[in-house]
Amino acid sequence: MSKRVLNFNFKRASVVVVVLLVTMAGCSRASRPTVKKIPANAEFSGFFKSYTNLKPVEGMDGALGYAATDAQKNLHKYIACVIDPVEVYLASNADDAKLTDTARSAATEYFRAALVKAVSSAYPVVDQAGPLVLRLRPALVGVDFGGEADTVNIGKVRVEMELVDSVTGEQIAALVDKQSLGGEADIGSGNPAQQEKWAAAREAFDGWAGRVRDFLNASNELSAEDADKADKAYQPYGESAVAAR
Amino acid sequence: MKKASLSAVVLVSANAMFAAAPLPAETFPAYADSDICARLMLGPITESRVSCSQSTVKDGANPVLIRLQNNLVLDVNKQKMIQKLVGQFLLATGEVKAKNGTMKLAEVSPIQAKDIPAGDPARKLMDARTYKSDAKLHEKIRHELAMMPYISEFDFISFSMMGSDVILSGWTVRDTNRSEAYNRVKDIEGVTSIVNNIDVLPLGINDNQIRAGARAQLQQSLSRYFWGSGSDIKIVVKNGDIILLGTVSTKADSDIAFIKCNSVRGAFHVFNLLRVNPGKAAEKLERSGSKTHV
Repeated sequence: MSKRVLNFNFKRASVVVVVLLVTMAGCSRASRPTVKKIPANAEFSGFFKSYTNLKPVEGMDGALGYAATDAQKNLHKYIACVIDPVEVYLASNADDAKLTDTARSAATEYFRAALVKAVSSAYPVVDQAGPLVLRLRPALVGVDFGGEADTVNIGKVRVEMELVDSVTGEQIAALVDKQSLGGEADIGSGNPAQQEKWAAAREAFDGWAGRVRDFLNASNELSAEDADKADKAYQPYGESAVAAR
Repeated sequence: MKKASLSAVVLVSANAMFAAAPLPAETFPAYADSDICARLMLGPITESRVSCSQSTVKDGANPVLIRLQNNLVLDVNKQKMIQKLVGQFLLATGEVKAKNGTMKLAEVSPIQAKDIPAGDPARKLMDARTYKSDAKLHEKIRHELAMMPYISEFDFISFSMMGSDVILSGWTVRDTNRSEAYNRVKDIEGVTSIVNNIDVLPLGINDNQIRAGARAQLQQSLSRYFWGSGSDIKIVVKNGDIILLGTVSTKADSDIAFIKCNSVRGAFHVFNLLRVNPGKAAEKLERSGSKTHV
């Protein structure tokens, strides 16, 4: 009797395992990011819904930016952000079959971590979207392939990044950074001689992330009018405040 | 196998030793205050201060300790131990983490102010004369703090001065504001020491919903106090409680702000500390009451 039960359970367990494996395979396939490319002869990747508001950013060579000035919807009105996974747009003429998961994840995960590090002291990074929370959408645009098999070249990469309201999706700020920081950096090679190029790539990602922070700092600067209002409005509480007046 | 187990045991024991290494226990005179009054009314312990401490704790504010020697605000692990002693002086014993502003309490016993010896630095907090400051230095600090770029409607940073010693206090939603305020004040000529009592607020989704709800309510009725990057009214939200700070022109506006914030979904209490006409009514605590949300 017990042997029959054992056989029966074993069969059921096998069926469950097979179903689970099939489901997992389905899920992992679904989660694999699709490869996107810059449309031929296009100035921008198409990652943003609109590029019409972009203007050269003062003090940042090769950068086009936008920060909403609406009194109700601007960067000052948000206090935290969620950071999306980094998207990759290949160069128009790149062969998408060459993009390996290893190279893609090495680039995108490192860049995302660099963004978290650069942005979190200005906009603490949280897990959940919600009121007062921005969504930072980053993309590496113009990724190409190196001379060595399976390596990604970021020599001509630029960064497109936008901050949208995490509830409504409305664009609050955007930056297209065309500054070429990638140089000869290659990603994804196991060749020890390439380690230097990976170090160069990390430096480039840190540089772009730092420029995103610079852009946020510049956009958060108080206008002369607002600075005057803030100065007039601010009165500390406390005993010495009375004594000083 | 044996070797591996032995190594694991050694590692675990070593880890436990380091993790549990206690800080030396300290005993010092303290004042049991509320979180709100401690971070706003740093000054001598007067009747109004005691009244503020007791009433705000009764309305739900957290009890904290103030180390009298240097005005350091300490969040304690066992709030029940000091809950009934709020508004009193006491001798506290426990492990202090000054950098975090926390204390692991071991023992407390009430004392009288007269029990603290005359020359003891702990008496500083009780003497109103200690709080006199140079007006120019005060203005420099005020201006520097006013110009901080990442200050929103949900942050309020205050300060007190005891001569050239500065006590920073208040609340912020960004950790960076805590260090930025410290660094800005540190660089001002004439400042000799800084105690940083700025509390970094948690960014839970419930508190954020309350923040957004309160701002929307206030902008609707009192829009003239809001501008592009900030406002005259500050909305500090901590664990469901709203603390209204800043300055409004009339008592009616203060009352409207209180009523509007009371209708915010999810808020437990509203502490109205808005000032009306700063020249006349500064530092006057205008608590309009509290409410419990159902």
